[in-house]
Amino acid sequence: MLKTFKALRANGVIGINERNVAYVSALNPRKFLNRVDDKLLTKQLVEPAGIPAPALYGVIENARDMKRLEEFIGHPDGFVIKPAQGSQGKGIVVVEGPLKGGWRLSSGKRIDLDAMKFQINNMISGMYSLGGQPDRALIEYRVKFDDVFGKVSFRGVPDIRLIVLKGIPVFAMLRLPTAESDGKANLHKGGVGAGIDLATGRTMQAMQHDKFVEIHPDTAHPLEDIQTPYWDEILLMAAKSYEVTELGYIGVDVVLDREKGPLLLELNARPGISIQIANRKGMRFVLEKAMALGDEARTPEERVAIAKTLSDAAPVKPGKLEPAVS
Amino acid sequence: MKTKARQAVILGFALIAAGLAVFLIKAALLDYPLTPGERATLWNFELYIEFDGRNQPARIEAFLPPSDVGRAFLQEAFYDGSFGRSLVGEPETRNRKAVWTYRYPANKKVLRYAAQTMGETQSTPLPLSFRESSAQVTPFEADPVKRQAFIVLSGNLRQRSADERSFADLAIAEAFEERSGGEPYADEISALLDESTGVAGRLELVRQLLNSQGIPARIAGGVYLTETSRRIDPRRWLEYYVDGEDFRFFPGGAPARFFTIWYGPEPLLDATGVDNLDFQIALKSEETSAAGVAENAPGALGAFGRSIGFGSLPLTTQLVYQVLITIPVGITLLVFLRQFIGFTTLGTFMPVLIGIAFRETALLNGVLLFSLLVALGLALRFYLERLQLLLVPRLAVVLIFIVMTMAVFAVMMTGANQAMGLSISLFPMVILTMTIERMSIVWEESSAGEAIKQGLGSLGAAALTYLAMTNPQIEYLMYRFPELLLVLMGLCVLMGRYTGLRLSELWRFKALAG
Repeated sequence: MLKTFKALRANGVIGINERNVAYVSALNPRKFLNRVDDKLLTKQLVEPAGIPAPALYGVIENARDMKRLEEFIGHPDGFVIKPAQGSQGKGIVVVEGPLKGGWRLSSGKRIDLDAMKFQINNMISGMYSLGGQPDRALIEYRVKFDDVFGKVSFRGVPDIRLIVLKGIPVFAMLRLPTAESDGKANLHKGGVGAGIDLATGRTMQAMQHDKFVEIHPDTAHPLEDIQTPYWDEILLMAAKSYEVTELGYIGVDVVLDREKGPLLLELNARPGISIQIANRKGMRFVLEKAMALGDEARTPEERVAIAKTLSDAAPVKPGKLEPAVS
Repeated sequence: MKTKARQAVILGFALIAAGLAVFLIKAALLDYPLTPGERATLWNFELYIEFDGRNQPARIEAFLPPSDVGRAFLQEAFYDGSFGRSLVGEPETRNRKAVWTYRYPANKKVLRYAAQTMGETQSTPLPLSFRESSAQVTPFEADPVKRQAFIVLSGNLRQRSADERSFADLAIAEAFEERSGGEPYADEISALLDESTGVAGRLELVRQLLNSQGIPARIAGGVYLTETSRRIDPRRWLEYYVDGEDFRFFPGGAPARFFTIWYGPEPLLDATGVDNLDFQIALKSEETSAAGVAENAPGALGAFGRSIGFGSLPLTTQLVYQVLITIPVGITLLVFLRQFIGFTTLGTFMPVLIGIAFRETALLNGVLLFSLLVALGLALRFYLERLQLLLVPRLAVVLIFIVMTMAVFAVMMTGANQAMGLSISLFPMVILTMTIERMSIVWEESSAGEAIKQGLGSLGAAALTYLAMTNPQIEYLMYRFPELLLVLMGLCVLMGRYTGLRLSELWRFKALAG
């Protein structure tokens, strides 16, 4: 056990405690947290900053808004309902299109208007928000995902997660839905995560359930060496989100839309640490190297350029083992 | 970053040090016992004074135990009847006196004084101020015959002794006729002793001999704490200080424990204006908790110990705090389980609340009840999901269902196991309802496995915190030493800056350990 502990330390693996103390609470001022916790506010902030996001069809906050539901959802290509303050993808309903007087969900099930109103009511009474405060339901554009990841996805929408430290993208991974994850790209539900080389945008290694995998469990397609399109745009979107949020340590989730290109799905002030397994690399040395760059003002473009040089970060202090980069 | 970390570490250790310092003062200096079962023998001392009034002004004086001796002298009580009472201190002798007065007492009157004490032993130190009183005095200024006898006796003792210590030994031996082979100084001694004063007179002679050599010495009066009896005779003994050591000479052998009441040759009681003065001393030993004795310790230190404790609260409130004070132990344990082990639980402090609920049900019953109620509640919750109820009414339905289920259990079990049936009623239903709600959300949003994992994590953490909170030793320590809260707080501050991996993360990141 002690050996494992030492090996993980030598490889720069950080745990939740270190993420919380050294990064989340040190770099994310509490007063700005609602900029990412409230997805409606996020949307309102990012669009003027030139970061594209799915279009908003409507907001439901109370029973009066609910009367306008049908007017918000009259889109043949479907739509997405999500709680403005939900976390970890909780409560999100993805509607693919009309089906026999009701709608078809991404899971293949049918939902009628009553059931949909019930779901929305749950959302606005705070079932998914932290502490159960009243919430709002957002109805927005459903992303028609790019086929580039079609061979390595099972239903649902794959997305790209980037960790951004003071505006510098430091880690990235592609999150792919599986049959087990029920079309969701969340790793803790059984989604596949594939590390992305920041310099090139190509996937490297992958993981599922905290273990290394080589192929997608449902499609059996190799997960390595897939080129992410629009990579430089994606890096720039992630870098720009720093100016918008003023949060020093965030997770940026981006989806690729067939027509609209990369769209910002959501921001997260407490991004998970499984990305280390997907990249087969502990985060500490890269994070410390990016921290050591200081606080001087840089443009998002400059920060993207820095991001592409970070991957060779090694232990700062001498006398430690080299980090394992496979 | 670095300075914040250092500040937290300093704060954490400062809190721990402060808590431990008070703890050590109480444990080491005030003898607060460290385990709940420790017993001590407590002596109830009672002085009972009886006399007949003469219908003229009466004045009764009695020595009371001095309150400045280094010993556990606990509390005292007076029963004055209709008499006026004043307490008089005599700084030179360190004596304390009660003076009872009444203008025209008639018939039989009774006065009582009671005190509780642990008593003293041979090792109880004499007061420092006593050691310094070493003026050389030759007594019997007014009586040339006695004076001459005294000088001859002391001169001879001095000749036959090597130092002050052997002088003291010789003087005692001479006065108490313990010397073997004739008594060449019997004449001097009998001249100096008034036979009617008995032991007290001999002790007084030794005191005078010692004082004449500049050795601090005094006669003490009190009782030997040897037996429970209604009629105890007051005793006299000699205290002296020689060669940097305290000595006590008890005529007829030293008792294991004794209780000093006054100093000097005077009798215990003195009265004017009354007839048939009589007194009785009663002693009763009593087994009591050592903690109770320590809590009643005298002096500023004793007051300090009492000020950090719950002794001054009404008994019912004390009982509440006996439970409340253990909750921080559970919380600290939970912090450890979460930050170091990596327990996942439903709700931050929910396991501690469940652990508190286990108090009513005992562990096994509690775990069974909890699992059963949560399982039933979950089943209902999934059914209600299909009815598409709004959130708050749905929570209410679950809560009412929980109460109903508990009531049914209580009624059903009254026959089989009454205690358990009744204990259910106190199981906190709001906590159960929230557990069910949270668990069902995790169930839907993540997976059944994750929900069960978190449920078991909560249950395991609840069981562990319950065991910690109900451990009699921990309960006792926290209640007697509330300053340990500072230690717990310090530990939590330190754990709050722990940035290392959790035990569960070793497992999670095993793939990266290569």
